[in-house]
Amino acid sequence: MTDQRHCPKCGAELSADAAQGLCPKCLLDAGLESHASGAAGGAPTGPFITPSQAASPTILPTSRFPTPYLETLARQFPQLDSFEHLGQGGMGVVYKARQRNLDRIVAVKLLPPSVGEEPAFAERFTREAQALARLNHSNIVQVYDFGRTDEYFYFVMEYVDGVNLRALIRDHKLDPEAALKIVPQICEALQFAHDEGIVHRDIKPENILVDKKGRVKIADFGLAKLLGRAAEDLSLTGTGQLMGTLGYMAPEQLQQAHSVDHRADIYSLGVVFYEMLTGQLPIGRFEPPSKKVQVDVRLDEIVLHSLESEPSRRYQHASELKTDLETINEFAAQPPRFVSDYQTLESPRRRLGASIAEHPLLWAMAVFFSLPLLFALVGLAESLIAWRALSNPNPSIGPNPPIGGFIQPYAILIVLFGPFAFLTWAYLWRALHRGRDEGSRTA
Amino acid sequence: MLAAGHRSSPDSRRALESLCQTYWYPLYAYVRRRVLDVHEAQDLTQAFFASLLERNSLEAAHRERGRFRSFLLTAFKHFLADEWDKAKALKRGGGRRAIPLDLDSGESRYAHEATENVSPERLYEKQWALTFLDRVLNRLGDEFIAKGKERHFEVLKPFLVGEAQQNSYENAARALGISEAAAKVAVHRARRRYREILRAEIAETVAGPQEIDDEIRQLRAALG
Repeated sequence: MTDQRHCPKCGAELSADAAQGLCPKCLLDAGLESHASGAAGGAPTGPFITPSQAASPTILPTSRFPTPYLETLARQFPQLDSFEHLGQGGMGVVYKARQRNLDRIVAVKLLPPSVGEEPAFAERFTREAQALARLNHSNIVQVYDFGRTDEYFYFVMEYVDGVNLRALIRDHKLDPEAALKIVPQICEALQFAHDEGIVHRDIKPENILVDKKGRVKIADFGLAKLLGRAAEDLSLTGTGQLMGTLGYMAPEQLQQAHSVDHRADIYSLGVVFYEMLTGQLPIGRFEPPSKKVQVDVRLDEIVLHSLESEPSRRYQHASELKTDLETINEFAAQPPRFVSDYQTLESPRRRLGASIAEHPLLWAMAVFFSLPLLFALVGLAESLIAWRALSNPNPSIGPNPPIGGFIQPYAILIVLFGPFAFLTWAYLWRALHRGRDEGSRTA
Repeated sequence: MLAAGHRSSPDSRRALESLCQTYWYPLYAYVRRRVLDVHEAQDLTQAFFASLLERNSLEAAHRERGRFRSFLLTAFKHFLADEWDKAKALKRGGGRRAIPLDLDSGESRYAHEATENVSPERLYEKQWALTFLDRVLNRLGDEFIAKGKERHFEVLKPFLVGEAQQNSYENAARALGISEAAAKVAVHRARRRYREILRAEIAETVAGPQEIDDEIRQLRAALG
């Protein structure tokens, strides 16, 4: 094999023809990097640039930082090797690497060095990282380790071999069917995290990864809060990019970042869902998805319900969204069956066994109430027969024995247990029937 | 588009010609993707530029306040859609060649470069980014050459990507026959000048200084 040269900064393969043998990406980065990185005389030249021109105080300067050389990384992370630059965003830079001892591929995220300037950060970092490490779910990118080196705070995470949703949307590789497979997985991840008390706060297509098996993995949980930004990933780029990042944030997030809870994630999910279906962001007076593309009208309701401006009017839990989606999926996937179809499929004995297993208490109660009742009924019948035998058709011979004495104890039992038994059986009957109905709908 | 769009003066025309001279290849790569016949692709490219300069479409570009990169591709697409027939006639009827384009070397370049499975648009964007970097590096190199310091440029080039590693300054110093401290200064100056040129070149093709960073990011993204 020919000796392929690699960029000492990002590890990308270099071609001798492109950019005169240098790394094109790094060359472009150099055009962006802030000048004060190390060298003296750091005043930026020219009339163009810089963050100081930002009028609004809420816009933070871009946190791009000079990416380290791979050699530096190898020194700072002796337990890792085979570094490969994967990407860079406002939240830091990510590398692919290999954990030597475990021989597994991981992703390493380095946070911008500027975060270390705030004194309380180290403590928050530890706390947040520990919380994130608890998020053990197949749809959430797992955190394996975290810490700090001389220069960087870092996370070591699960490496996802796939693409992010942004790439799929951009390349028009998403049909509504695919979207309907992806969204439930996001809901599961969100619900899991919310149950653990963790809000993502930055759900957007860039943070949603899909691996080669079609499994969804959500990245960067909790990072937004950790990095303490009121409006995440704001950078002084063209207005187009600014809107792009803000477009996923819930209204309450944009206005008062403090009263934000897990429902902000649901809003962001709604935006992503809309974008997956239509290719556009729901801005201003937007049209429901079914008017823009060929999708089930019932999806409109789901999307709109997530996009309610008022948090209390949205889905209150990600799991609710998922359930609604599943309802649509089921009915869409197959037409309802006839009851007779179902009945031939399952033997009554099996159904009975299943029903007993499902409602053991009810069945026990039913039996408990019914036995005395049965006993009383039998006894009643017997005493009636006996009374009839004892009483004669001819009243002149003598008075008939009062019937009350014969049947009294049994009557009491019937009155006592009858209603309860009746209610219990009625309940069981309903449960059995509902089960049968539901059973006929599932595959 | 700062210089090239303002008025239909000889300056603006020259600026446009210069841009076209540099950025014709990405357009060629694009049309080669869409049109499989080499000769037709070459004719189309040539005719497009002739038409562009002739009708001073720069007015439109300037009005659009967009970026030259996008404008060029859009104009080309329109041209391919409607104007091709007219331009064909123009060419046969002796349409002059507005700018000399080295189409043959363009073809061999296209043939050599790895043909990845990307759309014509993305190929265009990628080639644009690479062409742009070439232009910037060449400009920087020319400045060094003009000062008789071609060797300096060769040695300092690898430092353009970022802060250097430990012992590389030593090597550079030795290669140039200067002290390590002087080498560091030279690197710093070269990087600064590189950055100036890069941003100035971008400024030529966007509507205003606030768009420079964004354009750089987009170019970077285009490299995939």
